[in-house]
Order: sequence, then structure tokens, then C-alpha cells
Amino acid sequence: MPFSRVSVEDIAYFKSILSDVRVIWGDAISEDYAHDEMTEYGSFLPDALLLPHSTEEVSRVMRYCHQNSIAVTPRGAGTGLCGGCVALHGGVVLSMQEMKRLLEVDKVNMTATVEPGLLLMEFSALLEGTGLFYPPDPGEKSATVCGNIMTNAGGMRAVRYGVTKDYVLGMEIVLADGTVTELGGKVVKSSSGYNLMQLLCGSEGTLCVLTKAIVKLIPEPKANISLLVPFDSLDQCVSCVPDVLACGCEPTAVEFMEKEVIVAAESYLGKQFPDKNADAYLLVRLDGADEAVLEPRVQRVTDLLLSSGARDVLLADTDERKSGIWDARGAFLEAIKNSTPSMDECDVVVPQENVAEFVQKSRDVSREEAVRIRSFGHAGDGNLHLYVCRDALDDETWEARRAQAMNRLYSLAKTMGGHVSGEHGIGHAKIAFLEESVGETQMSLMRGIKKVFDPEGILNPGKVLN
Amino acid sequence: MPRIAIIERKCTGCGDCAAVCPFSAIDMNEGKADINSGCRVCGICLKVCPQNAIIRLETRTKSVDKSLWRDILVFCEQSEGHLHPVSLELVGKARELAKVCGFKVNALLIGQGCEKPLENLRHYGLSDIHVFDDLELGYYRAEAYAACAEEVIKSLRPSVVLVGATALGRSLAPRLSTRFHTGLTADCTRLEMRVNSDLVQIRPAFGGNIMAQIVTPNTRPQFATVRYKVMDTPQREETASGRVVRHGLPKKVSDCKVRLTKRRHVEKTANISDAEILVVGGRGLKSENDLQYVKELARLLKGEYAVSRPLVEKGWETNARQIGLSGRTVRPKLIITCGVSGAIQFTACMNAADRIVAINSDPNAPIFSVAHVGIVGDLYRVLPQLIEELKEKREKDAV
Amino acid sequence: MDIFVCIKQVPATSKVEVDEETGALKRWGVKSKMNPYDLYALETALRLREETGGRVVVGTMGPPQAQAIIKEAYMMGADEGYLFSDKRLGGADVLATSYTLSQAIRRIGDFDLVLCGKQTTDGDTAQVGPAIAEHMGIPHAVWVSEIRPCEGGIEAEQQLQEVIETVFLPFPCLVTVEQDIHTPRLPSMKKQRETKDRKVTVFGLDVFLDTDEEHYGLSGSPTQVERIFPPDSDQMHEMITDGDLAGQLHLMLRKWKFI
Repeated sequence: MPFSRVSVEDIAYFKSILSDVRVIWGDAISEDYAHDEMTEYGSFLPDALLLPHSTEEVSRVMRYCHQNSIAVTPRGAGTGLCGGCVALHGGVVLSMQEMKRLLEVDKVNMTATVEPGLLLMEFSALLEGTGLFYPPDPGEKSATVCGNIMTNAGGMRAVRYGVTKDYVLGMEIVLADGTVTELGGKVVKSSSGYNLMQLLCGSEGTLCVLTKAIVKLIPEPKANISLLVPFDSLDQCVSCVPDVLACGCEPTAVEFMEKEVIVAAESYLGKQFPDKNADAYLLVRLDGADEAVLEPRVQRVTDLLLSSGARDVLLADTDERKSGIWDARGAFLEAIKNSTPSMDECDVVVPQENVAEFVQKSRDVSREEAVRIRSFGHAGDGNLHLYVCRDALDDETWEARRAQAMNRLYSLAKTMGGHVSGEHGIGHAKIAFLEESVGETQMSLMRGIKKVFDPEGILNPGKVLN
Repeated sequence: MPRIAIIERKCTGCGDCAAVCPFSAIDMNEGKADINSGCRVCGICLKVCPQNAIIRLETRTKSVDKSLWRDILVFCEQSEGHLHPVSLELVGKARELAKVCGFKVNALLIGQGCEKPLENLRHYGLSDIHVFDDLELGYYRAEAYAACAEEVIKSLRPSVVLVGATALGRSLAPRLSTRFHTGLTADCTRLEMRVNSDLVQIRPAFGGNIMAQIVTPNTRPQFATVRYKVMDTPQREETASGRVVRHGLPKKVSDCKVRLTKRRHVEKTANISDAEILVVGGRGLKSENDLQYVKELARLLKGEYAVSRPLVEKGWETNARQIGLSGRTVRPKLIITCGVSGAIQFTACMNAADRIVAINSDPNAPIFSVAHVGIVGDLYRVLPQLIEELKEKREKDAV
Repeated sequence: MDIFVCIKQVPATSKVEVDEETGALKRWGVKSKMNPYDLYALETALRLREETGGRVVVGTMGPPQAQAIIKEAYMMGADEGYLFSDKRLGGADVLATSYTLSQAIRRIGDFDLVLCGKQTTDGDTAQVGPAIAEHMGIPHAVWVSEIRPCEGGIEAEQQLQEVIETVFLPFPCLVTVEQDIHTPRLPSMKKQRETKDRKVTVFGLDVFLDTDEEHYGLSGSPTQVERIFPPDSDQMHEMITDGDLAGQLHLMLRKWKFI
């Protein structure tokens, strides 16, 4: 793909659209824009960094880049984990970080309209006091709402509330040639032709630039409680998850965690976890309108867990107790990252019934390939996060064992009917695994779609598809 | 003592009073409001009751003869021959308060090897300085210190006793106030004196979310512990003054069975989450070596140093010292950021600090939107000069 | 070791604000919880019991609904619980609260050790513990970060300014523990079921040795709250762009008493 480099004339044109201060180029571009959270996947600085303030500006930039074959990589907060928002082929990074207004909270229709740069943490702070609530919670609170839409981020609350795409009602997008169009709206149902909007959820900026989104809100669950459930073994722990989901306790999140990862989080945070006697733990969170609704559900799931081999069911009912557990849970990724000089990650999703088996087999992989693997994940929706750690391996050994271990993990998932990525996306790091997983028929359909939306291939080139 | 009562026949059970009561002291029982044991007679419920069904019942109480209790006694904490700085702050405040009633200010010094702090105290306009200096007082035992203080309080009959709200002060003051069956107000941040010698004590409650104004109207002495670094340190006077009154060890001290078994100095832990003062280096630092400025300033301010994420990525520091969503969350009393641009991932984890100073050469840096004091300038000019000034000051103090 | 732990029910959130006009509190919820600092005291007591045997008894002064925190203490492993509830105990300050608790502890039995949290999240005084010790005439140590049982007493580590002093305290004694002495265990649903029928003994001041109501509650409290009000908002925002930057910063740090 022969893209043009950004020239001095191009810069001058961008400045005429965006003003001097919102066009940054050359050495002035911060190293931050060269990667996402996974620095392991390489460093790619764009030629220019553009900071638009309006849909109109985005449209003019796109039209120009389309005419001049300049690659455009849209970017939110840069918190991805698969290299999705980095300028693999140079050109411009279109950072949406300064378009961050909450345009509207519609209490009647229970929707919010947001600009693409609004962060999840800012969004939830702004919703405070409205009695409304945006459920998707991928853990990374400094991610943008719209970045989440473009990767279809999932998160821990998916068990009860579903994933990001389930909350997208409307979009304003800019196509590759600068055309602006609106999809969906404040309607709950739609059976009106191809569902383009859902196609764009998770398209990772390869089909369009998202400039506005209307998302669905729900009444805020005022009470919540977490249960920490110790088990003698991970097998026991994960095996009872289907029963937990079926018992009617309506959990918001069901996470599993192992002692080793908890210990790593303890040393990372410098804070002690409230219980460490067991080898494996299930963490169950229940949400409800008030405490009274939760009580019978807590009792029901307690009955079930105690009869399924749980050692006990421990209650986290106050802010202090909840944060003692969830702070640790939130630090797992960083704690593992911190325990090793380098790592690779795998975000597969498998059917519920295979979770226990997958985790067990990942241990065989770890043993047989002689490489340390740490895992945790969303036991409630089959989405697992596995981290292959380099530790003290030399370059050659690490590369060989990493590749071997990752291949085995992905093919294991495939044999179980699982997918490459549950919520992190494909970016440029997982393309080979995607091709392997979905096969040529589906890849060529995807390529066809790409061609229709972006004939010149300037939008986020090298991502999802090669 | 006054108390709050509900006129039952007027009460409609609307619950407005229960909703505003800061002490959860009003229950709704069988459709009527009912005052429970949490009531502190603050009177807030009186103002909100739409039926005027709540009243405050005044009762006459015995009060001591306040004229028999005069002057202010300041307990001056010292350790290993060093006066705790809060002691001087208290002396300064006490002198201000004393003027209102024409009181004198006396000091009480307890410990072993008190000569240096005693000499120091003699330059702050005190009347009498009472000293207990004995081997038996060389480590802190609440009972022993209380026995000494008791002796002085009994003989002086002070109207007010001020104690620093340090660990030691908060251990000692309640023993004394209890012994004299009188009021104690903890951790005051503001004090005022009324002409009738009632001390108006203002203190934060609910983690600082509300302030309470408290008096001890009927008993004496009035005990207050006072927060460190709130009151001003008075000017040191050139000439020494104040009568030194030396006391022997009270008999009660020998009855005290508490014994010291070990004593060690606090090791400085490098935990940035607990640090009260933090100096933070960011991307504005040009080389790893320049982190020295940050470390040096932290050392001079008796704080810790920390870094933002780019410096961890460069491998200059481990993430144990990193502030941010991928590092630690901090809530120090003072944070000085040097060359930190202030990405939200950083500011979200430090914006609860009491005082935020940001040094950055870019006037548009987002860090300035959370800073209480923003210094737009080159950290390579600001830091070395500030460090130099602080060092000079330290040398001067040493002399 | 027989241990008595003082606990208190406090509002579940300290996020309260005062309405400047009416002086009333805004955003006030009725939810409550056990004072978080008391959890450290209870955890310490449970660990000492595991080490040395004996029993852990908890007690609280408060309205009838404060029984909830006694039940919670059972779920964490406490053996017995008492609630001192009496309208005449209401409005107590440091002196009256500590007197009530000392009377109640005496009434219940002889204990080797009385444990308290460092402070509460509502009152924030940190001074009730030592006052109880004074009423009971026993030695105490505050903000203790480690307790080791030994012959006839305990060794307690307390931090004072620059030094940490470890002292031997003979039984009976009282200690207030520092936050993070041990991470408190979580309440167990298993224990909730096991202790379902365990009673909470409730009594008022009639059973105390001293039944003179003048010594309790508001009547026994020498301090009076005159008013509550919102704190000054200290939202300064000052940009210093020219002149002697370092010098101005130096002055600022001095003004704030960091130097």
C-alpha cells in the first residue's frame, strides 16, 4: 500500500483547517502516540498528530487524506492491548482526545450523546446524580466510550449487562472520503435494512471515524455487594460457575483468580488481600435497586456455593471491603506486567462449559513449553486473559517459546469453538491468529466490506485485515 | 443539660428531621419521630420541622466558678532533646488567646534531657515553665506523664490546657481530661477565646467534610488537642525569659508497671502511597541523572519522590514509585510535580492532594488545571535555586 | 487471653455536606456500617485468640439497630456480643462515652486486654480509648502497630514522632491499634449460619455499678456542640508566570508550613 508521507504542504493545509496548535508533527509528537498499552508490539510514530474539535474538521481532514493517499489512524485514549491505534504506515494519527463533551443526557429516552474523546471515568462522574448508569465497564477507566465502541469492549459486567455494542443506539460517522452520515438513533428497536451500526462496533477504526455516539443508559443499581469465594482448586472454582449463573442470583460479574496472581497484586499495590488461604477464588458481584433485593440472592448463591465445595462465602459489603478486593482485581494486569521484563497476552473467549478445561490445559502448555503463564478472567462469560511471561529467557528462547505457547493457546480455543479475542480486538498483533481462526471465507467477506467503506484503504491500514 | 424533645401530638411522622440529623439520632417509630441515644443537641432538626414539633429543653446546670481557673497551660512535647514544632505553634496560639482574658501562658515539659528544649522554650514569652526531667520519663508512658501533668494542673488550676494532636498528645490528653472530669476536644484546627474564658474549639469531623464548633461551658480546665501545622510559629525572642520551675518525680510514677523493651528509630519506607509530601519528576526531565533534583528537593522537604509513567517506561524508576492508573494512587498533603504534563491517568490518581504545585514550562499543560499553584517556568531554573535556598536555610538553622 | 473489643456503628459514607443556609446536612443516607478502624481491632483480637486461646467479646454503645454490627462481628469470629442501649446514654462526648464503656466492660467481666480502633470515621477524635483506660485505672498504648503476647501481659509497638517504642504492658491493659496492623478478614456467610441463634445481650444503665444518670449521656458530657458548618473551601488556583519563580514557591511552602 503506497501511502504518501505527510509533506510540509500537507501540514500547512491541516493547519488551515485545525489552527496551528492542533497540528503537531515531526519530533514534537510525544512518544505516547507511538504505541498503546502493549509496548511489546512495537513503536510507530505518525508523521503528524491532528487534534480535531468538530465533525466538520474531521470530515475535511478525511477528504484531504483520501484525495492525497495519506494513511489515517483514529485514536481514542490509547489504552488498547493489541496495537489497534498506532500508525503502522505513518501518515496522520487523528486523536479524538479534545472532542470530549457529554452533549446530552436524555432522561426520558434514557440515552446519552457523547463525543468520541469522552473518557469512561469522566462519563460516569458526569452521570452521577442523574440516577442513570452506563453499564459497560472494561476495567480501564481512562479509555474512551467511543474507543470502547470501536473495539466492542466487554468487561466484567458483561455477564448481566452485555457488552458495549448492546448499548449503542446511534452513531455519527465520517467515512473515508469525508462524507458525514448518521446511523441509528434514540430508538430501541430497528429492523430497517442491514444493521451497519452493529457492523461498525468493533471495526477498530478501519471502516470509519466515529464522531458522536448515542448510548443507552439504565436506571442506576443503587446497591451492590461482592462475594469472595475460596476454593481448594481452580477446577472446583471454575466448575461451579454454570450453576452460579443458573441459580437465579443474577450476578453482574463472575471472575476467577488464583493465589499466585493475588500475591503478585499484593506486592504490586503494597496492600494485603483479605484472604489468602485458598488456591483459587471466585469473585461474584451482585447489583440491585437496594439491599433488600440483594439479600435473598446472596442467600441463594451462598447455599449453592457451599454445597458445591466452596470453603466459605466471604462478604464484601462496605466501600473498604469492596476496594480491598476490587483494587487487587483491577491491578492484576499491571502486577503481572511488573513481574516480568516482557510478556504476550491472549484474550480468547470460549464457551462457558469449556472454561475449566481451557484453564487446565493452559497449565499443560505452560509446563510443556517451559514458559510461565498467568491467567485470570471473566469466568462468567468465558473470556480469559492469559499472559505468557518472558522472565529470564534469552531473546531466542523467548521468541520460540512465546510463539509456540501462543499458537497452542489459540488453537486450543479454536477446537473448543472459541474466538481469538473476547474484548481486546485484533489490531495488528492478532491478525495471523484471526485468519487462522475464522478462515478464508470470512476473511474475504471482511475484505469486501473494507473495500466498500474505504476503497483507498487509508483508514487504519494494517489492522484487523492485512 | 439541654436536650431535644418531640411534641408527639404535633409530629406527623414526615421524617424530615430524621433525614437531616447528622448523628442518625432520630428514628421513625410507629409514625412518630423518636430521639435516640445518638442525639448531640445540635438543633438542626428544630429548623427543618414543618410542624414545629421539636423543641429544645433548657435545664439549669451547675457550673464551676470559672474565676478560680486562670491562665493557659501548654504541654510541650519533646523527644530526644528536640522540641516538637507543634509545641511552639501552641505557645503562639496560647499567647493570642490569653490576651482576651488577661491570662498568662505557662508551659509543661516532661522527659529526660530537657535542657535543650527548655532553653529553646525560654525565648517565646512564657511566664513559667514547669519541668519534669528524669530517667524514668525517658520513654513515653501515658500514666507516668499523666502523673506529672496532674501535679502541675492541680497546683496551677489552668483554665485551658493545650496539647499537640500528635500520637503522644492524643494518648495523654484524654487520660488527663478524664482524670479532671472535664471536656476534651480533639484535633482542633481553630481556637478562639470568649471574655468569659470559654474556649471556642473548632474541629473537622466526618473526615473533614463538616466542621463542628464545640465549647466546654461548665467545667474546667478545658482540654484541647490541636492539629500540627495549623497555627503559626511565633517569633523567637532574643532574650531568654520565663521562670523555670523544676519538679521532682511524682510518687505515682514508680507505681507504673509499663516498661520499655525496645526502642528504634522509624525507618523511612519508600511507600509513596503513605507519603505526606511528594516531589514528582515527569517527562520534562532530560536525563536520568536529572532525577537528582527531584530526589534532593524531596529529601529537603522530608518527603518522598515519585515519577510519572514515561520515566518508568524509560527504565529510570520502578513502578513502585509511579503515580497513575497503572501505578499508585496518592493523597499527600503536598505534591510538587516537576515537568509532568498531567495526563488524566496521572491527575486522577493525585488530584485529591491537599496542595498541588505544578512546575511546567508549557502554560497549556493540563496539569495546571488541577494545580493550586502553577509555576510556568523551566524546572532547570526553578529546582536548583529552590534547593539552594532550602539548603542555606537548613545550614542557618543548624547554627 | 480474654479480649474485649470496643466497636461502633457509623454512617456508611463520610461524604456529607452541610447546606450553608439551613445548616442541615445534604446527601445523608441512613445506611450504616461498623467503623472501619474497629475492624483492625477485631482482627487483631481474633488473631491473638488464635495464638493464645481465650475469647473475644465485642461491645458497642448505640441505638437498637447497632445490633447489626454485633452480628457482623459474629460473622468474623467474635464469641460474645453486647449492646449498651439506653436513651439516657445519648449525646455522650468523649468523657461520657468512655465512662459508659468502662462501666459496661466492668459489668461484663474481667478482661486481660481491651482493644479499640484508632479512631472512628464520624467523630474522628481518637481519644475515647485512652479515656476508657483512665476510667478503668489500667495502662494503655495508642496507635499500636504490633502486639506480641508475653508472660503476664503484652508487648506493644507504638510510633511517636521519629521513634518506635516497644513497651511491656501488664494485664489488664488497653490498646488502640493502628490501621493496617492486619488486614481485616471478611465476614463469613458460613459463620453467619453457624451463629444464627447466638444472642446479643442488650442492657441499659440500670445494670451498671454506677446508675446515676447524671454521669452518662448528655448530662455526663462536659462539651457542647454549638453548631456545625461546612469547611472553608480552599480552592485556590494561582498561576505564577514571571519574577523570581523559585523564591515565590519558597515563600508559598513556608506559608503552608512545609518548611
